[in-house]
Amino acid sequence: MPLHIICCIKQVPDTAQVKIDPDTNTLVRTGVESICNPYDVVAVAAAVQLVGKHGGKVTVISMGPSQAEAALRECLAQGAQEAVLLSDRSFAGADTLATSYVLSQAIRKIAANEPVDLIICGKQAIDGDTAQTGPGIAARLGYDHFTYVSQIFEVKPDEKTIIVIREVEGGRVTVTGYLPALLTAELDLAVPRYASLPEFIRSLRQGIKTWQAADIGVEPERAGLKGSPTWVKEIFTPPVRKGGPVFDFSRDGEKAVDEFVDQFVVHEAGRIAAILSVKA
Amino acid sequence: MPKNLKGREVAEIMQDKCIACQICIGVCPVGAISMEGNTVKINPEACIGCGKCRDVCPVSAVLFKRPSKKKLTFPQQKPAPLEDYKGVAVFIETHNGAAADVSWELAGKARELADKLGVRVSGYLAGAGVEPLAQQAISYGCDDVYMIDNPAFGSYIPRVYSTALVQLCRQSKPEILLIGASPLGRDLAPCVATLLETGLTADCTGLDVDLQERLLLMTRPTFGGNIMATIFCKSHRPQMSTVRPRLFKAPRPDPTHKGEIHKIDFSYPQDRLPHILEFTATALEAGAADITRSPVLVTIGKGACRAEHVPMFQELADMLGGTIACSRPVVEAGLMSYARQVGQTGKTVTPKIYIGIGVSGSMQHMAGIQGAETIVAINSDPAAPIVQAADYSLIGDYREIVPALISRLKNKVANLAGSKP
Repeated sequence: MPLHIICCIKQVPDTAQVKIDPDTNTLVRTGVESICNPYDVVAVAAAVQLVGKHGGKVTVISMGPSQAEAALRECLAQGAQEAVLLSDRSFAGADTLATSYVLSQAIRKIAANEPVDLIICGKQAIDGDTAQTGPGIAARLGYDHFTYVSQIFEVKPDEKTIIVIREVEGGRVTVTGYLPALLTAELDLAVPRYASLPEFIRSLRQGIKTWQAADIGVEPERAGLKGSPTWVKEIFTPPVRKGGPVFDFSRDGEKAVDEFVDQFVVHEAGRIAAILSVKA
Repeated sequence: MPKNLKGREVAEIMQDKCIACQICIGVCPVGAISMEGNTVKINPEACIGCGKCRDVCPVSAVLFKRPSKKKLTFPQQKPAPLEDYKGVAVFIETHNGAAADVSWELAGKARELADKLGVRVSGYLAGAGVEPLAQQAISYGCDDVYMIDNPAFGSYIPRVYSTALVQLCRQSKPEILLIGASPLGRDLAPCVATLLETGLTADCTGLDVDLQERLLLMTRPTFGGNIMATIFCKSHRPQMSTVRPRLFKAPRPDPTHKGEIHKIDFSYPQDRLPHILEFTATALEAGAADITRSPVLVTIGKGACRAEHVPMFQELADMLGGTIACSRPVVEAGLMSYARQVGQTGKTVTPKIYIGIGVSGSMQHMAGIQGAETIVAINSDPAAPIVQAADYSLIGDYREIVPALISRLKNKVANLAGSKP
């Protein structure tokens, strides 16, 4: 039996390109490219692999401004079959509660026509790092969910069961559950492949549907800024760590190590003793 | 209206009206509806009574009484006025009948916040065989412990735990609910917040209260740790936050502190729940310890990414009672596993001593080690970003520095260990 998988993705600024202005100690965001959140790229890759094995379809959805279409096209090039952009003025300024509301409304609409077996999200977005939207969607839809999934061990579409391996504190668990379910992807869940030229061309040509609030039955007061209980009071840059003494081995040779060890042992004596007493 | 064995009101299909269009099968979120021959049947035990099938049925063949306006899977309750919510609650995370350290760290912080607000501290204790922990929670500062001791909580299943916490929140109405930002807590908290339709701030590193507005101020790193944001939740309760472990010190338990233990009944459908097949402790896997808990990390960077030197790094780590970690390029090169990766796309670590060897210190890496108490950089490039931030920097070839360091530290460390047991 074929699988229908929905991937929820987010377009984010490439935080790897963001630099700090040393004079003002603020973020320099100019000229920073927008990319598809790396964890979401892995989620799509995993979905495409599953559909490659079982047949079916991968639908990618994203809530964002019209520019977010670029991130959706990236996913089409990765092998997703369909993409839907959820874009409406009333969606802007959403926190994770409002985001999971809009995404879950879109998933309900999609599922009404084509039942959904699996939703795969990245474990978190690199701009916010909250990891809240995935479980939030699952809670709204009443699906079981599995976060921090590093391996999809087995999916049985006929029996509607799934076995995944999750990374948890102190180890990993193998857990089995029922479909429909929601997974959030660790970075090592799948290896995104490079798009072939025909796929790439298809991704550029393919139409992307845009749904607004009314299309998915979203009540505007529950979406975007209005539907977000959390507000930002202030934003500041964290205190910068000041560098300490530098010991130049390439200039002073072993003397540098001697000096370092002397200072280190004196200043850090408390820490070292604490660590070693715990160890013993 | 028919009820299932759990007493839940469920939908039923009137066979004489049904045209077998199967639209309801598609919308059912739990797969409770199926075709049996030519007729559509609802499995009453699987049905969760959401009424979605009724909403989509084109011929009104679904018998279900709840007004169609309530489309949510989980019935929404009218929120109580804000002033009805009082007190600070802490979720006590347990593993195999023992409390996670973060639970007591939060109990201490909750006590501090509650004292400022003049309210009580509640501990939410849900687990299997956790009764002995209730008294412990009181000694760590809880005034009330709401305890669900139930075998269903033997392993972490999000739907079970979140339902329990939602029930406890609705019963005891806390104004603040703190949950540890452990993998479990970060999985659980968003479910609870979503079901309660309240605000949640992830992975906080600072908590305070604005007494005038009676608001919790939650500070968290965002944008890969490059900026800090202070967040508040004005008109929804409880104000929820997950809080980083090992950030606040657990208070000294006070056996004389008095509190009440409330045993709470909880029943949850056991059908179709996920279950754990196997748990593998990472520590057993080729000696890979949890890098987030190690007090000392010897971190290998791109500049020291050589398999033949790993034993040398291990010797340094062992001597200091630490573990080997690495930066992202080392994982990409295949030398270390992803579990050991430090940084934005890896793990955030808070060791007492961090030693970076050949780590340049990209912003993504530095974001993950902001909580390190002491940073030592060993690098051939004096202009590397990590040197600007490190408490001590050794400039030169690590292949010469590390052996020299090991031989000199050996005696000193032995002395320190002996002098201060």
